[in-house]
Amino acid sequence: MFNLTLPERLDRILKSDFLWRLSRSPVAILSLLVVTLLVLGAVFAPWIAPFDPYDSASLDLMNGFTAPLTENDFTGQQFLLGTDDQGRDVLSTILYGMRISLFVGFASVLFAMVLGISLGLIAGYLGGWVDTIIMRIADVQLTFPSILVAMLIFGIAKGVMPAEYRDQMAIWVLIIAIGLSDWVQFARVVRGATLVEKNREYVMAAQLIGQPTPIIMWRHILPNVLSPVLVIATISLALAIIAEATLSFLGVGAPPTQPSLGTLIRIGQGFMFSGEWWILLFPALTLLALALSVNLLGDWLRDTLNPKLR
Amino acid sequence: MKGITLTALALALATSTHATTLKWAGTTDPQTMDPHAVISAPVLGFLNNVYEGLVRRGKDMAIEPALASSWEPIGNGEGWRFNLRKGVTFHDGATFNADDVVFSYLRASSEAADTKGWFAPISEVKKVDDYTVDFFTKAPNPIFPDSIANWMIMDEEWSKSVGATVPSKEEGNAATLQTNGTGVYALKKRQPGLETTLTRHNDWWGEDVGNITEATFTPIKNPATAVAALLAGNVDMINPVPIQDAARLEQNSQVKVHKGIEARVIMLGFAQQAEVLKYGADKGKANPFLNVKVREAVAKAISVPAILRTIMRGNAEPASQLVSPAMRGFSEAYAERPSFDVKGAKSLLAEAGYPNGFSFGLKCPNDRYLNDEAVCQAVTSMLAKVGIKAELDAMPVRTYWPELRKDNFDMYLLGWSPGTFDHEHPVRFLASTPNSEKKLGSWNFGDYSNARIDELLPMIQSEIDDTKRQAMLDEVTGIYQSEHAYVPLYIQPLVWGTGKNVTLVQRPDNFFILRWASVN
Repeated sequence: MFNLTLPERLDRILKSDFLWRLSRSPVAILSLLVVTLLVLGAVFAPWIAPFDPYDSASLDLMNGFTAPLTENDFTGQQFLLGTDDQGRDVLSTILYGMRISLFVGFASVLFAMVLGISLGLIAGYLGGWVDTIIMRIADVQLTFPSILVAMLIFGIAKGVMPAEYRDQMAIWVLIIAIGLSDWVQFARVVRGATLVEKNREYVMAAQLIGQPTPIIMWRHILPNVLSPVLVIATISLALAIIAEATLSFLGVGAPPTQPSLGTLIRIGQGFMFSGEWWILLFPALTLLALALSVNLLGDWLRDTLNPKLR
Repeated sequence: MKGITLTALALALATSTHATTLKWAGTTDPQTMDPHAVISAPVLGFLNNVYEGLVRRGKDMAIEPALASSWEPIGNGEGWRFNLRKGVTFHDGATFNADDVVFSYLRASSEAADTKGWFAPISEVKKVDDYTVDFFTKAPNPIFPDSIANWMIMDEEWSKSVGATVPSKEEGNAATLQTNGTGVYALKKRQPGLETTLTRHNDWWGEDVGNITEATFTPIKNPATAVAALLAGNVDMINPVPIQDAARLEQNSQVKVHKGIEARVIMLGFAQQAEVLKYGADKGKANPFLNVKVREAVAKAISVPAILRTIMRGNAEPASQLVSPAMRGFSEAYAERPSFDVKGAKSLLAEAGYPNGFSFGLKCPNDRYLNDEAVCQAVTSMLAKVGIKAELDAMPVRTYWPELRKDNFDMYLLGWSPGTFDHEHPVRFLASTPNSEKKLGSWNFGDYSNARIDELLPMIQSEIDDTKRQAMLDEVTGIYQSEHAYVPLYIQPLVWGTGKNVTLVQRPDNFFILRWASVN
C-alpha cells in the first residue's frame, strides 16, 4: 500500500465502495455540500466578500443598521444581509468570521489529535506505569466539562501574557485551550485499539526482527488504529467550532478586532430587542449550518467505517 | 432649570404596612461604599440614598437644606457658616453634630480622598458650637454651598471604631463594605459585584418619602440582559435602557421608558505631555498630539451627527464645550463645534508633518457610558479615513481608571458630568494643570496645561458678579476650544426603564433617588 503511485491510489479510492456509499446518502451529500461551500467561502473571503470588514477606513457609520436588501436612507447603499451598528456588511463579517472559526476549529483538532494519538499510542503500547499516569490524567480531565478546561487555560494564558500581545496571541491561545481540552477522546480510542493490535502476529514479527519500539508504533500500529480517529476528528471539529464560538460569545475568545462567528453573535445579541434581527440571525444560522453539517458528516463517516453498523 | 424631567409625581398610596421592595439594575456596580474614596457617578448616585451632605439637590437640581438647616456668608466673602440640623441620628443611633462635620471635612480633604478637589478653596474649618460650623475660604467663594451637595457626612465615632478614618481607594477598608449614614436608607447587605440591599431607616428626619421599604441593586453588565430582566419582571427599574431598545420598549404596555438629557458630556482626551506614543505601529515615535493641528484634525475628522443618528439613534445632542447648555456658565459665545471636514483634517495633518498619518492607541471603557465601545469603534473608523490609525483597547471601567491614572494611553474617551452643575467644575477637574497640593486637575489624565486658564480659575471661583464671571468663563472656553484640549462629542441622553407600576423622578445627574420612587 505504501508503494502505490498516485494514479493507482486515486483508482483505488474511486473503485472503493466509499463513493458509492456516499451517493446513497442524501444527508451526507447535502452536508458535504454545505461544508464545502462554507469552507470555500471562508478560504476565498478576501476575493468574494463585498467589503473588507477589517479595514476601518472603508466603513461608513451612516450605513449602520441597514436592513437586508433595503436601501440605506442616507447613503442609498444596499447590502445582501444588512449591516451592523458600525455600518459593516454582515455578509462580509460572516465570511471573515468563518475564517477564524474554521481555522481555530481545524488547528485545535489537529493539535488535540497529535497530542491524543501520541499519548494513546505510548500508553497502549508501553503499558505499565506510563499507561497508568497518562490515563489517570485523562480520567481527571474527563470529569471537567471541556469548555471549563478551555476557559481555565485561556484565563491563565491571558494572565501571564503581556497586555500588548494579548490580542495577537488570542487566536493561538484559543487553539491550545480547545486542543488541550479535547485530546482525551483521541488518547482513549487509540490506546484501546493499540492494546488490541499490539498482540497481533505482525507486531510480534516486527519485534522479533528487532525493529525499534518507535518504528513499531508509528509504522505498524498507527495505520491500523487510524480509522476510528478519523471519525472522532470529524465530530471533534464540530465541537471545537462550537467551543470556540462559546468562548468568543462569553467574551474570552477571539478579540473584537478579529471577530469570529461567536464574537459576531455576541455583538448581535445586543440588538435582539431593538428589531435589528439580522445582526444576530445570520451569523447564528451560519454557525448552525456549519456545526450541523460537520456533525452529520461525522455520523455518516462513523456508520460507513464501522462494518457492524452497515 | 432646563432639561428637568419630572417623570411622575410620587403619589404613593401609603395604605398598607407591608414591605414594598424595589429591585433595580445598572451596568456598573458602585466600586465602593465609601463616599470619599471614588467620586464616580455610580458611587455618588448610589450613596446619595445612604449618606447625606450639609446640602442636597432637589428634583430640579436646586440646592436645598439637608444636614444643614441654613447657611449664610461670613463677613465679606471670608467663608460660609452652616447651621446644622438638630435631632438627626445616624443609622447606628449616634447623634449627628458639628464634630462629624469637621471629621468628614478632614477625611474628605485628605490626600487619599478622591473628593479632595472639592475643598481646594477652603483654608480652614472651625466648629463654633455643637450645631454650627464655619468654613473659611481662601478667596470669596459664592458657589461653595453649591459645590458640596455630594460631600457626604460620616459619623466620627463609627469611622474611628471601624478603623476607616481615611478613605482607601485601592485596598479598601471597613468603610468600603459598610456604611453608617443619616440617609433614608441603610445598607443591609453588600456583596460587591453581585447584590447590594438597602433597607429603610425609620428614624430619618425628613418627609416626602415614597413607599419603598427595601431596595436591592444588582449590576447587570450586559444592557440587553437588563432589558430582558425588566420585561420578565425580575427587576423593577433599569438604568440605562440601551438606546437601541428604547423605541421598542415604549410600545410595550408592561414597562415605562423615562427619557431626559443628562448633564454628561462625552469627549476625547489626548496625552498632552508624553514625549512619545505608547501604542500602535508608531510606538516610541514622537507624540503627534502635542501639535494642536493634529488635535484639530481629530476634531474635524469625527462626524458627530453620524454618531448621533446611528449609534445614539437621535437621542443625544452634539457638544461644543466641557458642559452642556443647561449648565450654569455655559459659554454661548463658543457654542459652535468644529464641523465635520475630512479634507480640512487631512490638510491639517499634512501641515503638521503627517501627510501619511500615523498610528496610535485609543483607550475606551466598555461598560461606563451608553454605547461607549461602539462610539470608540466609530471614532476609529472615522479617524482611519483621514489616515490616522487608532488601535482600540476597550476595557471594563474597573481597569479603565487605573490605566488612565498610569498614563497608559495616547488618546482616551471620557464622560464628565459637573457635580456642581457649573462650568467651573470641569475647568477645575479637567482643564487645570494637575496639582495635587492645590487639589486641581485631578481628572486631567492627559496633563493639559495652560497658564492663563490656571490664572483665571481662582478668579472665576471668587467672582460674585455674574457678567464678569461669565466673561472669564468665555475666555477659558475660547482657550481650551482653540487649543483643542479635548474634543467634546455629544451630551449623553438619559434613558431609564421601569415596570408600569413604578413612579420616580429622573434627575439630570443620572442619580436614582430612592426616596422619590414608589411601587404601586
